[in-house]
Amino acid sequence: MNFEPVIGLEIHVQMKTKSKMFSGSPNSFSHTPNSEVTPFDMAFPGTMPRVNKQAVINAIRVANALHMEIDPLVRFDRKNYFYADLPKGFQITQQFHPIGKNGYLDILDENGNTKRIRIERIHMEEDTCKQLHFPDCSLLDYNRAGTPLVEIVSMPDIRSGTEAMHYVEAIRNIVVYSLSSDGKMEEGSLRCDVNVSLRPFGSEKFGTKVELKNLNSIKNIEQALDYEIARQSACLLSNTPIQQETRRFDEGSGKTVLMRVKTDAVDYKYFPEPNIAPIQLSEAFIEEAINTCPEFYDSKKTRYLTYGLPEKDVEIILSSLDSALYFEKAIQGVNYVKTIANFLIVEINSYLNKNGISIKELKLSPEHLRDIAAYQEEGYSHKQCADILFYCLEHDDCSPAEAKSALKIEKQISDDGAIRELVNQVLEANPQSIEDYKNGKGRAVGFLIGQAMKLSKGKANPQAVSKIMNEELAKK
Amino acid sequence: MRYLDKPIAAIHAALKNKEVTPYQLLQEAIAQIKANDCNAYERLTIPSEEELMKELGPFEEDNLLYGIPYVCKDNFSTKGIETTASSNVLNGYVPVFDATVVQKLKDKKAVMLGKTTLDELAMGGTGTTGHKGITYNPFDPSKKRMVGGSSCGSAAALANGDCCFATGSDTGDSVRKPASFAGLVGFKPTWGRISRFGLFPFAPSLDHVGYFTHYVEDAAVLLNVLAGHDDMDFTSSYVPTEDYTVHLHDGLKGKKFAVIKEIIDSVDDVYNKAKFNALIKKIEEEGGVVECVEFGEELLRSIYATYIVISCAEATSNDANLDGIKFGPYYGGNSYQEVMMNARTKGFSELIKRRFVIGSFALMKENQEDLFLRAQRNRAKIVEKTNEILANCDAILVPAAPSIASEFAQSSDKLSSEYLIADNHLALGNFAGLPSITIPLALENGMPLGINLMSKAFTEASLLSLAQAVEDITGLGGLSAINPKEGNL
Repeated sequence: MNFEPVIGLEIHVQMKTKSKMFSGSPNSFSHTPNSEVTPFDMAFPGTMPRVNKQAVINAIRVANALHMEIDPLVRFDRKNYFYADLPKGFQITQQFHPIGKNGYLDILDENGNTKRIRIERIHMEEDTCKQLHFPDCSLLDYNRAGTPLVEIVSMPDIRSGTEAMHYVEAIRNIVVYSLSSDGKMEEGSLRCDVNVSLRPFGSEKFGTKVELKNLNSIKNIEQALDYEIARQSACLLSNTPIQQETRRFDEGSGKTVLMRVKTDAVDYKYFPEPNIAPIQLSEAFIEEAINTCPEFYDSKKTRYLTYGLPEKDVEIILSSLDSALYFEKAIQGVNYVKTIANFLIVEINSYLNKNGISIKELKLSPEHLRDIAAYQEEGYSHKQCADILFYCLEHDDCSPAEAKSALKIEKQISDDGAIRELVNQVLEANPQSIEDYKNGKGRAVGFLIGQAMKLSKGKANPQAVSKIMNEELAKK
Repeated sequence: MRYLDKPIAAIHAALKNKEVTPYQLLQEAIAQIKANDCNAYERLTIPSEEELMKELGPFEEDNLLYGIPYVCKDNFSTKGIETTASSNVLNGYVPVFDATVVQKLKDKKAVMLGKTTLDELAMGGTGTTGHKGITYNPFDPSKKRMVGGSSCGSAAALANGDCCFATGSDTGDSVRKPASFAGLVGFKPTWGRISRFGLFPFAPSLDHVGYFTHYVEDAAVLLNVLAGHDDMDFTSSYVPTEDYTVHLHDGLKGKKFAVIKEIIDSVDDVYNKAKFNALIKKIEEEGGVVECVEFGEELLRSIYATYIVISCAEATSNDANLDGIKFGPYYGGNSYQEVMMNARTKGFSELIKRRFVIGSFALMKENQEDLFLRAQRNRAKIVEKTNEILANCDAILVPAAPSIASEFAQSSDKLSSEYLIADNHLALGNFAGLPSITIPLALENGMPLGINLMSKAFTEASLLSLAQAVEDITGLGGLSAINPKEGNL
């Protein structure tokens, strides 16, 4: 018997803002514990929350990208529970009135067909502090306490690990390209909780759901779901009841492992946050947030395709926001986009991979890449330009012009007429070789081309010389 | 007469004319604080002469608060000064920041002499539940009668004549009720008019910064300093402030007062009623109009239950930060649960735990609809009725309390079946967040009685002018145990 997987995702995204969700403390992910903390973040008595405007703007932008209804009246609620990582004893969240609801996202299913995933809600909240557990003690780092979060909750519309992976990829592209978040799963700035249950095909009723945690890469989501679907399917086939439980993904074994069995749901005693009066957003504010939103992945992709770049190349350029931003600076004001894209995709990417660095650490400015590509447009060979590029990468603050003169690179002669003249000069000077050619001695052509190159002092384009030499010989 | 018994503006004039120095003012205060045996202080913060002069700098002619001594309720955060809110759960807690109110007073060179006692965490109305025990009423040398709470220490300090004003907080009536028992002016402006940043929260939707003064005009002088938006308090208002002293002496001609019938009816104290009626007569003589209105008895009787449900629900959440992990005494434990449980078991008194249980119960999923949400709906009804009455008058005028301060034996903070409308109506001002002021009415066997005025939101200037007119009638401005007065009524 076959089963249909029913999958829903809750995604927490840490937002990139200058300060925290409700305090003026910097939000820069410092690695020195407890260095970015205000009295509010530690819940000192008498401190009060102040809503971060940029966080609201980011949430509006993401909600808009997810085609959601945006609530112009921003309200917050308290979620009450005691836990070591929760300084106030409650979390400020948006339980009753999320900033966005009833949206959707179109993704590709396994077969490459478009599929619509409905999204229930997106709401703003604050992160908890970070716990570090040791054998004899636990330590608390309040740097993370109060980091702005949005939580995006999907409807249970996802049917496979691949779909889940595509969904998370699409969400990540939205939050990263709108500059709302770093979207780094491995660093926890994008965290996924996955709910999965199975039911017989055709059944309307949901099966018992299991929650998966600790999925810290997009690949893990697919792997964990594939494993979990197989596990639950085996349970059902062998009449073993599935328990409502939380499981974590173990990267080493590729399996999901039981964390805890869910007992009755905790009562969080939600009620409206009395220290934040409801904020009425004007239509103009919402429009401005949307209109000034940085360009999304999909829109960039469409635009790049109009430059005549192959889809595969476009996807490589867009594989990171930094590479896309670098590319856009480099192509500013020029029409030889393809040449620039080639250097970026081939030479620069291989240099980055070889040296294990990111494009942000690259020593070559986008403007210099543009200058190098311009040389190729002027008639320098790709190889010559690549030499200039690598020279620049190896020499700090070296401009392409300086590299060119240091490498004594000169422009090739590729003008047809000039080359034909060279070729004819050589042919006139070497009648014997023409004879040899006529007698079928292949080597003669090579000799003649060599002579022509020598005569041009190496500046002639070898392909062009070869082509014209053969043409002229054929006339003899 | 001591300088400290005068209005702030008069003291300022004396400082300006060099009749008195800031240090002499301080010495007057110290003498009185030494004689204060009412358990009004958590700790004293009296500066030395040298410290005082260094803090004050040269005389500031345009700053009425320069060198004026005051005391501060111990639930305002004070940088570098232990602040416990009279609860063991905060013993040893030394804040790293000043409350906005404290900062503003510091900027204006007012001199803080001490942190005053309160009912634990400002929850309570008797002045008996703080970790330092009972705070007494300076008007009662026999120490049988309470001063009221929760701002008991501030009321007792000012009624003893220790200083010129005292900060307080008011969630149900915690400034305005003790003001009535201690012969003081007790004022809280509109919710949002004064920043609450740094005030330890009890129930934020009801919490107000308030204060006690000896004179109505001092209340106006202080509001000029304390009112205004504060970026640190997201609920503080952007409504423009004004000079609240300008209209003080506008008089009563044509002013309309509404008296709530059910509140008067529930006052048994014949003397209190007589004095209240005498006041009304005087108001009418001076051109004021007094009308009796009905509020609805059922609605008035529901005030306390509504208040308890909402305030306890908010309190149980606000005080969840007091878990022994970040500040306050740490009692250890083998898990975070044990650490929290130990701190909260040992840190809170029984009465506080009782309120937390009530609040938590009201917020439980299965009870929210029937308790918390129902209380919110009832609050909205009460607010609507209050605003309806205020739409037709300048202020609501009522006795601040049914009688003089009661004896300790007769009072308790536990819920009881005995219910007096006149004992609980001041919470109307908290439900609706309206400006409300208590002013001394008369004395009964040496113990003060007070009246209360409440007006529309952000009409502090008008309310203070009405209060000034009442003070002019009663003649009790400047009253304290060391500056006794008989009054005109």
